[in-house]
Amino acid sequence: MLYVVLFFTFFSLFLYVLLGGADFGAGIVELFSSRENKELNKLTVYKVMGPVWEANHIWLIILIVILWIAFPVYFNIIIIYLHIPLTLVLLGITMRGVAFIFRHYDAVIDGTQVWYNRMFRISSLITPIFLGMSFGALVSGKIVVTDDYSNTTFAEIFMYPWLNTFTVLTGLFYAALCTFLASTLLIGETEGDIRKMYSQKSAIFTVVLVLVGGAVLFYGYWYDLVFIKEFLQNKISLIAIALSALLLIPLWFAITKQKRVQTRIYAGLQILLVIFAAVHTHFPRLIITSTSEVNMLENTAPESVMYVLGISLIIGGGIILPGLFHLMKSFNMIRIPSRSGKHTAED
Amino acid sequence: MENLDYARLQMAFTLGFHIIFACIGMVMPFFMVVSHKKWLNTRKPIYLKLTKAWQRGVAIFFVTGAVSGTALSFELGMLWPEFMKHAGPVIGMPFSLEGAAFFVEAIALGFYLYGWKKLPETFHWITGIIVGISGVISGILVVSANAWMNSPTGFDVVNGAYVNIDPVKAFLNDAWFTQALHMTLAAFAATGFAVAGLHAIQILRNKRPDLHKAAFKIAIVFGAVAALLQPISGDLSAKDVAQRQPVKLAAMEAHYETQKGAPLYIGGIVDAENKTVSNKLEIPKALSFLAFGDFDAEVKGLNDFPEEDLPPVPVVHYAFQAMVGIGSLLMLAALIYFISLKKKSWLNNKKYWWLFAILTPLGFVAVEAGWVVTEVGRQPWIVYNIMRTSEAVTPMPGLKFSFYLYVTVYAILAAMVTWLMHRQIKVLNNSIG
Repeated sequence: MLYVVLFFTFFSLFLYVLLGGADFGAGIVELFSSRENKELNKLTVYKVMGPVWEANHIWLIILIVILWIAFPVYFNIIIIYLHIPLTLVLLGITMRGVAFIFRHYDAVIDGTQVWYNRMFRISSLITPIFLGMSFGALVSGKIVVTDDYSNTTFAEIFMYPWLNTFTVLTGLFYAALCTFLASTLLIGETEGDIRKMYSQKSAIFTVVLVLVGGAVLFYGYWYDLVFIKEFLQNKISLIAIALSALLLIPLWFAITKQKRVQTRIYAGLQILLVIFAAVHTHFPRLIITSTSEVNMLENTAPESVMYVLGISLIIGGGIILPGLFHLMKSFNMIRIPSRSGKHTAED
Repeated sequence: MENLDYARLQMAFTLGFHIIFACIGMVMPFFMVVSHKKWLNTRKPIYLKLTKAWQRGVAIFFVTGAVSGTALSFELGMLWPEFMKHAGPVIGMPFSLEGAAFFVEAIALGFYLYGWKKLPETFHWITGIIVGISGVISGILVVSANAWMNSPTGFDVVNGAYVNIDPVKAFLNDAWFTQALHMTLAAFAATGFAVAGLHAIQILRNKRPDLHKAAFKIAIVFGAVAALLQPISGDLSAKDVAQRQPVKLAAMEAHYETQKGAPLYIGGIVDAENKTVSNKLEIPKALSFLAFGDFDAEVKGLNDFPEEDLPPVPVVHYAFQAMVGIGSLLMLAALIYFISLKKKSWLNNKKYWWLFAILTPLGFVAVEAGWVVTEVGRQPWIVYNIMRTSEAVTPMPGLKFSFYLYVTVYAILAAMVTWLMHRQIKVLNNSIG
């Protein structure tokens, strides 16, 4: 059962990074667009992601719930020492969620839309950055686990471990990844000028992604971060990263040929390879603190808990996944607004 | 105040906020599908208009409930890491099922909101029902996790570790049924009366009375039926609390002296220092009967419990009085509604609509008061008789700032949602057809 639980843990992580990421990215694309394109992007995102965007974010809840049930000791470290960045992530998720719904469900369309839009775009950028910073902090080797609070300052325990150059880089990396995902996804959903816009954005953010990714690796190597060092010495991880880089070529062809399904498969595969590469080297020691490496598979919940959780996940997955698939399939056929397309409050 | 107090305040504040949105998000879909069904059956445009207006309400409340719920799933750990470390695996089952139910709800809502004119009519309507049912299931599952904190079972404590965990037994703990029943009925009563009340206000203002009367009728039926059933569920809950958490019962009633044939206090001012209650209305032997079904049963008083195990008595007592008082009021209003079905002349009386207009917020006041009774009444324990709240709190100092941050953000959110609802009603009133 441990393996079933582990499967769902990484499955949720993968889907959240992919779907939630594309969702955040859509807001970032909008932030970095011209005024006219901002409006077009808003309509596209509403049509394409509207039906599924809430579902995209539930993967995070599933992930958190699995962590606390099955890996309580592990979860304990994350939740105590990353209290501040996670609070900021929550704030971002809250702001983003309500801004999205407000801008599409307010009965009156007027000047307040400007504020909803701003709130949506800015929180779309900030949330993945803090999320990326939290991921980065976990493997940075800077978290100080201690019971002795008298000899340390607040900042040493609750600020510096997640607020440093490395985590800022990982935060930017995740934000770039989101933007790349969103623009790649939206290419297949649009036509004409707006499609061109997404192609450009996709190209730009592919470059940004490679650059920031390179910076993360370089910084880690230069400053001797265990996680990065071992990552760079691990053949399988390197092969996975190389493969994901190679996939850019067929991805690019698929984009130019408007193959919607293929672009998504390639983009999904890339994320899978990146997560695999990152996790593979160090699994199961996925938290690296200043003094030790915490093994995820030690101190797990007892077998009775794992058993019930595993069964719940299998049943839940059996209901959710076909439903989700059907939902995505049903709304894939939606017409995409053209430049003359008008958004009405009635729908 | 200490860190612990701020942690408790933050938890109370965010839960209090989430409960309102969760209740509405869980009950309003039912109003929506009834109106939708009426549209499908009669093809009267007002029902379509109403369904679409309620659908927007559902979308807004669902998302606000969802994001505040996401925040809570993190906050449980962020504020109470020691609680989650030990209790997380034990109460994991309802939470993982809740995750699944919530997911189903989000998927069904996606179908429903975006399915107009795109899905077959009946299928589209059924997705709306699934939204409602999975919402109610989510609510029941979360409440059963809370019930475990009041009635912890399904594990043994050995040297501070929780061992021999039986997640199914923990899930189906002694309190889960009474608590889940009470909360589900409360959600229907509070939301029913709130929605009916809002529409009653519009009827009083004489804005689109045709439309608002149709809306009122749908909402009030749910609210009134729930309000009439609630006392039965309340009685079950009271007897259950009397058995399992005698100290909570004593605090609810501000009952200090152990006594056979104990009286029931209605109202009263609690003097916690001198352990007396003044200005109360006393019904002889009623507490013994309500708690144990026997007029002469002994009810243990607060004085016979160790001082360090007592909850803050006045808060619990006042909250309990508020809950029961409002519950009785709603039950009376429910009766008035059902009588008005026979006496149609009442519907032309402004006082009738005023009554429901005034009741608008009260159901939710009762829901909040009820949660104060459950949660404050369990103090100083986070897991009753097993773990103290003070042992569970995070070691991170400075929770004061986190508390103020949440208060600010949620206050803004609440203001915005209220304002949006106001705009929805305005647009609805000015619509034609």
